[in-house]
Amino acid sequence: MGAPIRRGLKAGVIGGLVLVYLAMVGMIAKFDELVLIGTQLTLGLVLLALPPLVAALAAARPRVVGGRIERLGPLEGLAAGVAAGAVSGGVIAAWLVVVDAIGFDRVRSVFVAVSPVLVDVLTFGRGIAAGAVILIVGGAAFGALGGVWRSIRFGLRRPVAIGVGVVLLMAMLQRIVPTILDELNIERDWLYSKVTRGLTWLGAAIVFVVATALAALWLDRRERAAAAPTVEGGRPDTRAIARSIGVVAIVAAAIVLPQLAGSIVSEILGTVGVYVLLALGLNIVTGYAGMLHLGFSAFFLIGAYASALLTGANLVTAFGLVAPRFSAELNFYVSLLIVIVIGAIVGALLAAPVLRLRGDYLAIVTLAFAQIAVILATSNWLQPITGGPQGLRDVTDAPLFGISFQNPRNFYYLVLFFCVIAVYVSWRLAWSRTGRAWNAMREDEQVADAMGVNTSRYKLLGFAIGGAIGAVGGALFSVKVGTVQPGSFEILVSITVLAVVILGGLGSVPGVVVGALVLLGLPGLLSQLEEYRLLIYGGALVAIMILRPQGLIPNVRRSRELQEEERTQDAWQEIFAQKEQAAAEQADAATAAATVEESS
Amino acid sequence: MTSLLEVEGVVKHFGGLYALGGLDLYVNEGEIVSVIGPNGAGKSTLFNVTTGLYPPDEGDIRFQGTSLVGLRPNQITKLGIARTFQNVHLFPNMTVLENAMVGQHCRTRSGVFGAILQLPSTRREEQRIRERAKQALGFFGPRLTGYRQDQPAFVLSYANRRRLEMARALATDPKVILLDEPTAGMNPRETLELRDHIVRMRDDLGLTVLVIEHDMRVVKGVSDRVIACDYGRKIAEGTYDEVANDAQVIEAYLGTKAAG
Repeated sequence: MGAPIRRGLKAGVIGGLVLVYLAMVGMIAKFDELVLIGTQLTLGLVLLALPPLVAALAAARPRVVGGRIERLGPLEGLAAGVAAGAVSGGVIAAWLVVVDAIGFDRVRSVFVAVSPVLVDVLTFGRGIAAGAVILIVGGAAFGALGGVWRSIRFGLRRPVAIGVGVVLLMAMLQRIVPTILDELNIERDWLYSKVTRGLTWLGAAIVFVVATALAALWLDRRERAAAAPTVEGGRPDTRAIARSIGVVAIVAAAIVLPQLAGSIVSEILGTVGVYVLLALGLNIVTGYAGMLHLGFSAFFLIGAYASALLTGANLVTAFGLVAPRFSAELNFYVSLLIVIVIGAIVGALLAAPVLRLRGDYLAIVTLAFAQIAVILATSNWLQPITGGPQGLRDVTDAPLFGISFQNPRNFYYLVLFFCVIAVYVSWRLAWSRTGRAWNAMREDEQVADAMGVNTSRYKLLGFAIGGAIGAVGGALFSVKVGTVQPGSFEILVSITVLAVVILGGLGSVPGVVVGALVLLGLPGLLSQLEEYRLLIYGGALVAIMILRPQGLIPNVRRSRELQEEERTQDAWQEIFAQKEQAAAEQADAATAAATVEESS
Repeated sequence: MTSLLEVEGVVKHFGGLYALGGLDLYVNEGEIVSVIGPNGAGKSTLFNVTTGLYPPDEGDIRFQGTSLVGLRPNQITKLGIARTFQNVHLFPNMTVLENAMVGQHCRTRSGVFGAILQLPSTRREEQRIRERAKQALGFFGPRLTGYRQDQPAFVLSYANRRRLEMARALATDPKVILLDEPTAGMNPRETLELRDHIVRMRDDLGLTVLVIEHDMRVVKGVSDRVIACDYGRKIAEGTYDEVANDAQVIEAYLGTKAAG
């Protein structure tokens, strides 16, 4: 019993420090503004409960000791979990007491986030002593849950986890779902409260039950499908039909959604769409061809500036607005073709000198490339064209049949159209001769070369196509915001795009879309998240690297590989079990025979 | 008559180490030539220099009269020289069929626009690539066909990985195939089977084969001619029996005392 508790203590200290950190950066207090369920349960409280839970899960996880997997029993797990949770709560409680002793005002003069609101949240409005007790007891309770979690049958705990996840997601979508329900004239007061905007307890319970039941059914079906021998012929057809129905449903939802959910949602989805385009471009370079590109924002910048200059924009000068030195007054769609060509050429130009570089070296060069692009756009030298730090204003609209695309809803449809095209292009390329060559290159560049793939050519091609798609994203962005400033294309954009691709799954087109929705859509919808966007990205990336390195929706190839591994493992386990059983039976038979012999 | 593949005075050194110290050899069309020699004799370096993985420091390599020096590996493959590696190098996360399809890359030409627009010519070519790849996999009988085609390459057994590597090389439609220790790590039965496959590469597919091999039963069974190397030089050449009884070869393998 000693070892699990020791582990729990260790994990608990880390969990507690995480809590202190979250409190001191102000995340807990800020998230407390967002009521999820009922009148009391806020996102801040969820955030408060999460570190003890995770610490307990980590303390009770199975580990490999001396070549054997060592799993904790329910009691040991409980002990480790309670220890982890109580210590987590204890650390934050101790911090609270210490801060109280020093004096909140003094601490606040350094750490501005240590506000009365935070104290109120941490003490549950009941004073320091009572608050500390609640923190420790509550931490222990969540720790206990985390500790015994793995002892619960998989068929039960997985649906429950999915159910909880769906409830939280529904609660976080409180700005979209009620609006849609209102628009559809569906009574929604039972589900979402009008006062707090969060879910009602009744609604949360119903959502939880439904989601859990559906998840259980789905898991059960999947398990049976995996257990049943694959029937040749029949299944792929039904699968293909199911998939096309799914695609149609998603497209229909994408078309209808902004009509129902209002202009804020359209605005956010427009941004998401621009990032989907950027991420699809990067996905070709990094996901398909395996070249790490840290400067993808350069294509975004080039696309935006090129499009603005080709369609007509104004510079800000001391004498008011003037036209840039070079500009054309082309139609947006004509200029877009030119922008695509420019993006492709710049991509290939970047690739040409770095053909021999791989991995880290390539990443550094691309990073520098993005910085150079921003510096050039800001420079005095190009000021008469790019407008320097102020950039370009009054970027011309992209009208089509008299419809303006500068309002959020129309812009959303414009960007959706280009996203669909980019998805189609990505998908076609993935399963083509070109995609195969990229894939071979990603797996082993030297061998691909020896097997007849012209690696230089395919590197150039990857950068060119990725650059072209990224430039389209930039062009659309310039239409969306109407101004082009160097500040919009900082390194942060490159990092965000890369985070989207990695979170979604390298080389996976649906993954890219989901990644953009999660990383840009959710923070856009919840203003409380916006402030901590980068912290959340960092946390999400670390979590995904540990828990699901292949991404949320992995590339077909990689998921296939994992399934295969699982099946082979299962098969081996069965064989081992059979062998062990046979050996046991034999031993039994032998002892039985021996007894018979002895008795006779 | 000029030979199909000629290696002339090729020198390759890595720092102070001479991997190849002026090697000469030729391979005629339709021959199976084995290269033998102790570890470090420069056999794999010979293959790497021939297929353009690194350039020779001196000397010339000619294939059908054209010099290969300075060409990229993919250009050499396109000319008709395919190879396998000593340590199997597959594309592990691609399926068995896709691995073989990569082999057809240099014999096909459809590009990005064809793939995006799904032009009829692209689709026909894709079909052809698939057929040709299946045919190459079929060379090894049922071992790489059927359900295995859609498995990722990394689940294959060791012997099948070696076979897949050969099938991928065959899928490049080569004139010469260079096999680097094809039977390494195979059990005796698989080795015998592979011996027949090497002979069939010449008899059924009309290929010229240059093979590095340590298993003398295989060398004896397949070779028209055997070339023995040591310290990056040719020390003996001839039929199997001639080379096997050569004093220098015995010395290289067993040391001076045994030869003396």
